[in-house]
Amino acid sequence: MRRFRTVSVVVFIIYLAAALVLALMFRAAGYWRADTAPQAAPFLGGGTARTHAWQRFHFRAYTMTLVFIAFEMEMMFMYPWAVVFVEEGVKAMAEMGMFLAILSIGILYGWREGIFAWE
Amino acid sequence: MMIAALNLLAMLVLGAWLAATFDRMAPALWGGRARGPLAALADGAAMLTRPATGTEKPDAMLRIGAPLLYLVLAAVGLAVVPIGPAGALIESPVGIVIWGSCEALIVIAVFMHGWAPNSPFPLIGAYRYAAIALPVMLPSMFVLIAAAIPAESLSVTAIVESQREVWNVVRQPLGLPLFVLVGLTLTLRGPMDYADGLDLAGGTSAEQGGRGRALWQMARLAMLVAFSGMAAAVFLGGPLGPVLPGPVWLWLKTALIMAVVVVLGQAVGRTPPANMLKLLWVFGLPISFLHLVAAGALALW
Amino acid sequence: MGVNLVSLARRAPVSVYPCIGPEMLPAVEALWQARGIRLSATPRDAEILLVAGEIPDDARPALDRVHDQVPPPRAVHHWAGDGDPHDALVALRDRLARGEGLSPDRQPDEPPNEWRGKGDNGQGGKGMMGGVPYGRPMAMTDDDLRDGLALDAYSAQFGPFAPMLPPGLVLDLTLQGDVIVKAAVAAPPFPQPPEASRPAACAARLLRLLGLDGPAARVAAGRSPNAFFAVRAVPAGLGAAAPGADIRSRLRGWLADEPGTYQAPDPAQMLPGLEWHEAVLTLASYTPDALRLACLAAAEGRAA
Repeated sequence: MRRFRTVSVVVFIIYLAAALVLALMFRAAGYWRADTAPQAAPFLGGGTARTHAWQRFHFRAYTMTLVFIAFEMEMMFMYPWAVVFVEEGVKAMAEMGMFLAILSIGILYGWREGIFAWE
Repeated sequence: MMIAALNLLAMLVLGAWLAATFDRMAPALWGGRARGPLAALADGAAMLTRPATGTEKPDAMLRIGAPLLYLVLAAVGLAVVPIGPAGALIESPVGIVIWGSCEALIVIAVFMHGWAPNSPFPLIGAYRYAAIALPVMLPSMFVLIAAAIPAESLSVTAIVESQREVWNVVRQPLGLPLFVLVGLTLTLRGPMDYADGLDLAGGTSAEQGGRGRALWQMARLAMLVAFSGMAAAVFLGGPLGPVLPGPVWLWLKTALIMAVVVVLGQAVGRTPPANMLKLLWVFGLPISFLHLVAAGALALW
Repeated sequence: MGVNLVSLARRAPVSVYPCIGPEMLPAVEALWQARGIRLSATPRDAEILLVAGEIPDDARPALDRVHDQVPPPRAVHHWAGDGDPHDALVALRDRLARGEGLSPDRQPDEPPNEWRGKGDNGQGGKGMMGGVPYGRPMAMTDDDLRDGLALDAYSAQFGPFAPMLPPGLVLDLTLQGDVIVKAAVAAPPFPQPPEASRPAACAARLLRLLGLDGPAARVAAGRSPNAFFAVRAVPAGLGAAAPGADIRSRLRGWLADEPGTYQAPDPAQMLPGLEWHEAVLTLASYTPDALRLACLAAAEGRAA
């Protein structure tokens, strides 16, 4: 277990180091310098913008993300559940079935409330 | 471990080249011109030598950080795939969880890429992609957990071992199609290309030219290789197979999945994101439930 | 190594961004299948700006803006739509590599607004917002069409040379997120020849917007698309000008080679409330002729 930890830490460090080296190389090459204002204007097919693009963007799927979080937490429970499933047998299946059924009621409610429409 | 590291590097570089070549050969299926293996290198060289400009007040750190994060995630994701009897570069008892975290961070990498230029088309692409890619993570985890059930472990090596008698693509038939859908989303292809589509003038890549664009495309191809390696390990038995050595089998199966993803990416239409969101939650998720229940029932039987 | 990269890059197709003028749409769409030319989706990825046809005077400033967005060193190629521009483009690319034929910026190097405001970067004014940071104001809140959340409204003019809009169409759009809440037509699309309104050409255009390049090429050549989920990818009921006449039925008709007689509604009425992809599909689901007639009729109606 300790060997795994060492190996993965070393590997991650190597990846990140490689990424940083690449980043510095790009910056050193003077990359992404906007030479003039007309070159830097946002591309709108020849049109003009009135404001910066960064804004409080109306992310319409935010109600869907709440239900998504619920399922994501269920996923967290399923990770250890999958490991002991065969040992535990039908009991494990029944328990996860109940969990999924409760969450599915949540999806049905959400569907009726229109969270899957692009509101 | 040295062998595993070299194999990873070779797989990412050569696999990316192979994927780019498949991309350029696929139009032949519709009567277009198939361009040879050098075409991918030529296009890459052309992108590298083209100049690029910045935009008005971009986020410089994210601009370089996004493609690099994408590339690093592809490398980490592929590192948990075992290449043979020696195992994987990151030999982890929770390989599936590591892959899952890489998938989730991809959403962030693509969002960063769209946020950085401070321009409307990339921004819309970034938010659209986030709204679709998040629900796609759910079927992804369902099929991987279903594959982990007969293996009684979250380690990719154990999942490969559990396929000695029969491959998961045979005993869990819905798994690979759902996982290919996830792959299309992770690599921004075809029906799930909400980040970089033509209807947004290239989306998150709309303000990207030259070397930055080359880096982003390279990261997408590397992610395709990583995804295909993972799919080959979890559903096609990875390095298992007669006669040929383990790594060769892994390469062949990875290439097969890459070809399937490339062709599907060019053959399936992209529906507007609101519709895709509905389809994912109304069809995608229940099908994943059923797949999990079937896998569980089969494992107990 | 540098020399090898450049000589390898020479083998790649020439990357051009097309600015499509009046009567040029069929010729430029034929370039999708041309050997050695790659039409790019954005000027940032192009080396040469391909100006097809005679651009009218009121679209010249927009052309200058797109021209300046092609990263320098850049060149411009004017094409009248006859013959294959491939050789001329390759020759122009070679001249560019040698440093000749460069086209300098056409617009003056000035920020869009003088930086003003209370802070060092031009920010400051109304509380936390306001001012002109880095040369542009920030977007302010506005009410939304679909729900009661008042978030930022982004207004811009989407110009005559946008790759996903009909060439020449200038739209003044206000977007909340990715949904259009206000639309106005600032200029109608350029007139196009009857070949641009043929069913095969219109179907190919729509398929390209669905991400199906290969099937679009087949349809443009008059064959069946051989794609999955091509027609069904368009949601039913979208873009319904009349009951039963939605985008899906128009696309089906075009794929069956029936021209159909659909009158287009005024884009300013039909776009608000549509999400961006849906709006782009709706605009592409009418023939260029019908859309131009609708814009001109609406402009006349407003002038009267």
